[in-house]
Amino acid sequence: MSDVNSSKSPNLLTRFFYSRYASFEFIAGVVLTASLALLVLLSGVLFPEGGTKVDLLARLTGPFLSWEHPLGTDPLGRDILERIVHGGRISLVVGLLSALGSVVVGTVIGLFAGYYRGFLDSFVMRFADIQLALPFILLAITVIAIVGPGVDRIIVLMIVSQWVQYARLVRGSVLSLREREFVQAARSYGLPNRKIIFRHILPNAMGPLIILLTLNVANNILLESSLTFLGLGADPQTPSWGGMLSEGRSYIQTAWWITVFPGIAIMLTVLGLNLLGDWLRDELDPLGQTR
Amino acid sequence: MTYLILSPKRLVQAAMIASSLAVAAPVLADDASTLTVAQRRDPQNLDPIDTFRLSWGSIASNVFEGLVFRGEDLELKPGLATGWEFLDNDTRIRFSLRNGVQFHNGEPFNAAAVKYTFDRLLGDEGAKGPQRSNYTSIVGVEVVDDLTVDFLMESPDPVLITKLAGYGAMIVPPKYIEEVGEEAFDMKPVGTGPFVVAEYTPTVGVKLEKSDTYWDGEAKIDAVDIRFIAEDATRMAELMSGGVDIALDIPTPSVETIKQNAKVDLVAVDGPTVILTRFNTANGITSDERVRRAISMAVDTKTIIEALLGGLASPISSAQGAKSFGNDPALAPYPYDPEAAKALLKEAGIAPGTELTLDMPNNDETFREVGQVIAAFLEQVGLKANIRTHERSVYFNDIISNGKTGEMFYFGWGGWTFDFDNTAYLLYHTGERNNPYIDDAKLNELLQKERSTYDTEVRRAALQDVAAHAHKQVLDLPLYNEATLYGVSKTVNGFVPAPDKRARYLNVTLD
Repeated sequence: MSDVNSSKSPNLLTRFFYSRYASFEFIAGVVLTASLALLVLLSGVLFPEGGTKVDLLARLTGPFLSWEHPLGTDPLGRDILERIVHGGRISLVVGLLSALGSVVVGTVIGLFAGYYRGFLDSFVMRFADIQLALPFILLAITVIAIVGPGVDRIIVLMIVSQWVQYARLVRGSVLSLREREFVQAARSYGLPNRKIIFRHILPNAMGPLIILLTLNVANNILLESSLTFLGLGADPQTPSWGGMLSEGRSYIQTAWWITVFPGIAIMLTVLGLNLLGDWLRDELDPLGQTR
Repeated sequence: MTYLILSPKRLVQAAMIASSLAVAAPVLADDASTLTVAQRRDPQNLDPIDTFRLSWGSIASNVFEGLVFRGEDLELKPGLATGWEFLDNDTRIRFSLRNGVQFHNGEPFNAAAVKYTFDRLLGDEGAKGPQRSNYTSIVGVEVVDDLTVDFLMESPDPVLITKLAGYGAMIVPPKYIEEVGEEAFDMKPVGTGPFVVAEYTPTVGVKLEKSDTYWDGEAKIDAVDIRFIAEDATRMAELMSGGVDIALDIPTPSVETIKQNAKVDLVAVDGPTVILTRFNTANGITSDERVRRAISMAVDTKTIIEALLGGLASPISSAQGAKSFGNDPALAPYPYDPEAAKALLKEAGIAPGTELTLDMPNNDETFREVGQVIAAFLEQVGLKANIRTHERSVYFNDIISNGKTGEMFYFGWGGWTFDFDNTAYLLYHTGERNNPYIDDAKLNELLQKERSTYDTEVRRAALQDVAAHAHKQVLDLPLYNEATLYGVSKTVNGFVPAPDKRARYLNVTLD
């Protein structure tokens, strides 16, 4: 970030204007994701009741009618805004934890498989092929029919099925990196393999990983919504965006606000993360070398 | 309780159109009319003795007939039998059969067919299915002459005449079954009713065609296309968009939408289905009767009915509706009294914030809302109810029947006979599939007593005692009696809503 550090720059605004951050993707992405993160972090303070307060007298109140329920209420008289803010918790927790989990598992496996090659490599990669051939929803329905629904299970399932993408991506980078001069040099100094992997190879494979991570978080938020929509995710009482969509769909012709607002919330979140991901890709990998 | 949703004006219109159609019919003759119907579930088998599902009833009531007929007014009338009398001290019931009736394949309906039907039901083939147990009071059927049969009774069966009007007692053709075999009959059965099964595709639907040989008039439409659409929202979307003419199993959340749609009518009648939450009386905090009573007093079922279900249900005090034989109007539900509930919980030593689990199937949109309201009511008295959902078949075949439920669990049942006997036996008799927890000598005795007499008053008293005993011990929390709802397109005329969900399409016409 040498351009930002230069002491002679005229003022902050101009510097910002000419910096790499002055792009639509970055600004929109950061604003969207940051405001979501802020709302979710503050959800407990803003709405201590957790969006579960039932008030049958106020059921199906329309939006923009009162300050009490700015976005209206659902069939049980619960506040839509409150539920969206609290529902963001589930989405964010699932999105982040599942992506982080898969990135850790996938990266470690990919690094070792790519660096050591041999039997480990072919075994893991054939296993990955099988894993990729299994449709996620099918896997989810089967497992959940056996162990019962729950957010924790969804996260584990996502990690189980998604580490593969990271493993393949990292392995690909490692295959080329391990032949590069600096790795050869490190090896000739007698550095232990583990150090070479984590000190020299991993940092150079990070770029595409981070891009994939942002897109993966967005994707998993959508996936969680779909699963909850199908009745496989969060239980009915916990507010979640997918659950709200599912509950509201019978009312869509008479009470559109139950589905439309959580739908917008999902859309904005995913859009924000995708924009950030796009920007990161342009920054970290401008020539598209890893594609 | 009566529900007035269909406007009187429309009834007049329906009558006028029906009468004018007699003139118009010849013009329409070459233009085959097909009624399209959507229902939630596939009965999976069309053989009368292999099923007990209401989804079978709404198909097969158009294909099969029994000796006795019970239509939309729930009155018992002669069907394939023209009359019956009790002989030999009630151990023998003699039925005179209707002359000149044919099965769809041309086979004649006669005493031999009746005997074959019941031999099959009570024999090995019937033992494979769920219907046989409803008819075990019959020892056998004797052929007196070609149009007279005697039923020999092992023990008095007060509900028998009603039961002969539906399900396992539907008369089947002996020659046809012998020819095609049992498995083919499951898929393409033959009866005496106004419609013939043209094609049955499991999970997709059933196509019925008008029978030309029906003895009691002719269907006014040429064909009925019944589709199975499990997803509530999809079924409703089809109804709204005109993809289907009649939709059964209307979920409560869609009521408002249908009412606002100018092309579709909502038709409601008192139904057979009651919804309860049952208690795990064997384990957990609900093994304490005081806790069960407290929970019953903490839930305001009136508000649930009025506010959430739009009034399309009626309150109940036991697992039966007002139309059910055995219902005691004097038995009142526990009053809504959260303060008394709190006091009871305190007395039982339940700390505020104690958690309990409410189990339910995952595809029931109505109960999904009701369950959450129950949880909200329980929270008011300091109980935290967690709702756990299960895949439907797992729920009924494993969670309930193997006793794996939490403290409370959903149960919905519609005894099509409108006689408490069926529901009470299944809920309270020891060892029944749907009764994992209750083992009560007094209930067993009362149920036995009620089953062994034709004396209506003795039976009524025994069934009312069963209800009272269950109520006193708070074995379950009866919530409401669902109205049977039909969504009917305005192009459909002459559809009479059946309370027991056995929809019949004989007199339906299309604009």
